[in-house]
Amino acid sequence: MRLAAVVALAIAVTACAPSATTRAAQDKVTLSVWGWGPEANYDKMFAEYEKLNPGIDVDARSFTTSTEYDTILSTGLAGDSGPDLAWLRAGPQLQPLVEAGRLLPLDAEDVPGLADFDAGVLRAATGDKDGKVYGVPFAVQTLQVVYNKKIFAAHGLTPPKTYDEMIAAAGKLKAGGVVPFAFGGKDDWMLPIVASIFGTAQWGGDEFIAAVKAKEKKFADPRFVAGIDQLNKLKPYFPENVAGVSYTDAQILFSSGKAAMFPGGLWELNFFTENAKDIELGVFTPPAPEGQGLMPGFTDGSYGVNVKTRHKAEALKFAAWLASKDYGRLYTDTVRTFSAVPGVTPKDPLLGEVATTFDQHGAAYFMNEFAYGNPSSAAVFSKALQEMLLGRITAGEAAQRLDQSVSTWL
Amino acid sequence: MALGARRGSSYLFLIPALLLYSAFVVYPLFTGLTYSFFSWKGTLRDGFAGVDNYAGLLSGTFLDQLLPALGHNFLLFAGTMLVQNTLGLAFAVALSRVRRGKRALQTMFALPYLVNPLVIGYLWTLLLSPTFGPVNSLLKPLGLAMPWLGDPQTALPTVIVITTWQWVGFPMLLFSAALSGIPPEYGEAARTDGAGSWQVFWRITLPLLKPAMATVTILSFIGSMGTFALVYALGGSNGAPAGATDVLGLLFYRTAFASGDVNALGTSSALAVFMFTFIFGSTLLLERVLRRKA
Repeated sequence: MRLAAVVALAIAVTACAPSATTRAAQDKVTLSVWGWGPEANYDKMFAEYEKLNPGIDVDARSFTTSTEYDTILSTGLAGDSGPDLAWLRAGPQLQPLVEAGRLLPLDAEDVPGLADFDAGVLRAATGDKDGKVYGVPFAVQTLQVVYNKKIFAAHGLTPPKTYDEMIAAAGKLKAGGVVPFAFGGKDDWMLPIVASIFGTAQWGGDEFIAAVKAKEKKFADPRFVAGIDQLNKLKPYFPENVAGVSYTDAQILFSSGKAAMFPGGLWELNFFTENAKDIELGVFTPPAPEGQGLMPGFTDGSYGVNVKTRHKAEALKFAAWLASKDYGRLYTDTVRTFSAVPGVTPKDPLLGEVATTFDQHGAAYFMNEFAYGNPSSAAVFSKALQEMLLGRITAGEAAQRLDQSVSTWL
Repeated sequence: MALGARRGSSYLFLIPALLLYSAFVVYPLFTGLTYSFFSWKGTLRDGFAGVDNYAGLLSGTFLDQLLPALGHNFLLFAGTMLVQNTLGLAFAVALSRVRRGKRALQTMFALPYLVNPLVIGYLWTLLLSPTFGPVNSLLKPLGLAMPWLGDPQTALPTVIVITTWQWVGFPMLLFSAALSGIPPEYGEAARTDGAGSWQVFWRITLPLLKPAMATVTILSFIGSMGTFALVYALGGSNGAPAGATDVLGLLFYRTAFASGDVNALGTSSALAVFMFTFIFGSTLLLERVLRRKA
């Protein structure tokens, strides 16, 4: 008797189950999103959207940050297994997807928020040939110097206001047995980043880059050469054998308290906060010999919509939310990086400080604007800078190699 | 009757293997070849490009990468032959005289090649790190501390040493097997005639090892030409420092996956076809020369 009841119940439950799920699936639209970075961040942010839109289920999948993502995404978008929305790389690396016609162009009608975006930020999500926007930018990265407040205080130092002050501070740190700047030149992608942190103001920031693009100036211009020559000038304050020191070695130098400053991207703040909890972090923009330094920045990536999405209306509505201040705030506070959405003030005080500096003294990171060609000019110049640090070529020769590479596609 | 029918049915048994081989080896090779004759927009095939992609490989900026990379492949091959295979032979000869624990020693020498080269590379970057590495801490008192992987002068030789460390067990095993196939009577007869042990090795053992040497040489050549994982782990995709450890495998990786070029698929397919033809052709040539001598 009791057994029969249990069996009947079991049958009822199993009979119910499939119909219940089909009903839910019919009611709900699932939007799949591909990206890179920690998946928990996506789940946290998209849960807010699901709360606001009960009919939508956002299913985020994160892949590794490495180049595998590009292959996975381009294969997925080429077939039928692709996502509805995806994180896209910025600038040159976006172009293969645009030219293959894999992405839906976005306009201000569908995604009203785009109209307020900074033109420089949007450029990184724009097709080079057709000038259409293909993504909603999500992050802006800035480049600056992160420093260890305790080490600075122990040596009686404050963030330098002038170039001479910076050199004097670096000398004092070195004399005290501390590596002034944790920087490794073995992983060559770091080289143009560090060159731009110390040199952008010297070559005149955006104005100079625009002149090079208009073919009015060359990188062999004395101002640019002087800018990248900063790497040679500061060499005594880098770790010994700097060209042989890897990026992770440099990170360890800073996080273990053996180095006082780390020139690098804003993403380092997250890394150091997590891996060196006892270090009190500060940031500053290095002053140039002529005066005020500039803080280079670039758009990190954007959300694009698959041209083959089966839920176009829902995907565009979601894209519109991704361009809103609500999402911008959510992104900044979850990921601790600048949102690309204009007018979003970060809660984090350190980020707030960077935001103020970037507003006043921001400039475009030059290398991302010149990362075209095969081999890309960025790869050519990174290698040239490495040879310069090794003392095999001069700053002028490194600049000439960049000119030569740029002339193959500009 | 029987012979003809049997031959016919024996071909029948080849079909399953042939089908698998065609699907997984011949077909991909062939598609790679066809890809190289088209221009591409990302993953979308554009127009027929003729030999444009191949001409691109020979253009100034690309050739500037291709030739040094190929040169480094050859240096790796030379280094492997000189260091790894000579040591492998020495170990094999030494082990042939060991009476106890021979198997245990063979296993120990061969152990590193069971580990993935990426892991080996990562371990060695830690060991050789100029800031924290134990190798430099040991060498510092002797005044020999160096950024081994960070100086273009020492980077490639260091790669050769690490390759040797990983793979020396392989030629050792091959030479050991060949040595055990040489009848001891030859050596005994020579000794009776008054030959010293160096003479026995030089005049009898070494000539009889020629077939094994040919095999080791050809396998080393293929290994050196196709190397990727170890150099990637040691110097990244650009072959740091300053391209001193750049090889064809890395160049292909950069061209195919990291360039951001719209026609990356076309250029990289052409490069792949070039690499395949070059390695295949050279191997055939090497095989012919070595076998004739052996």
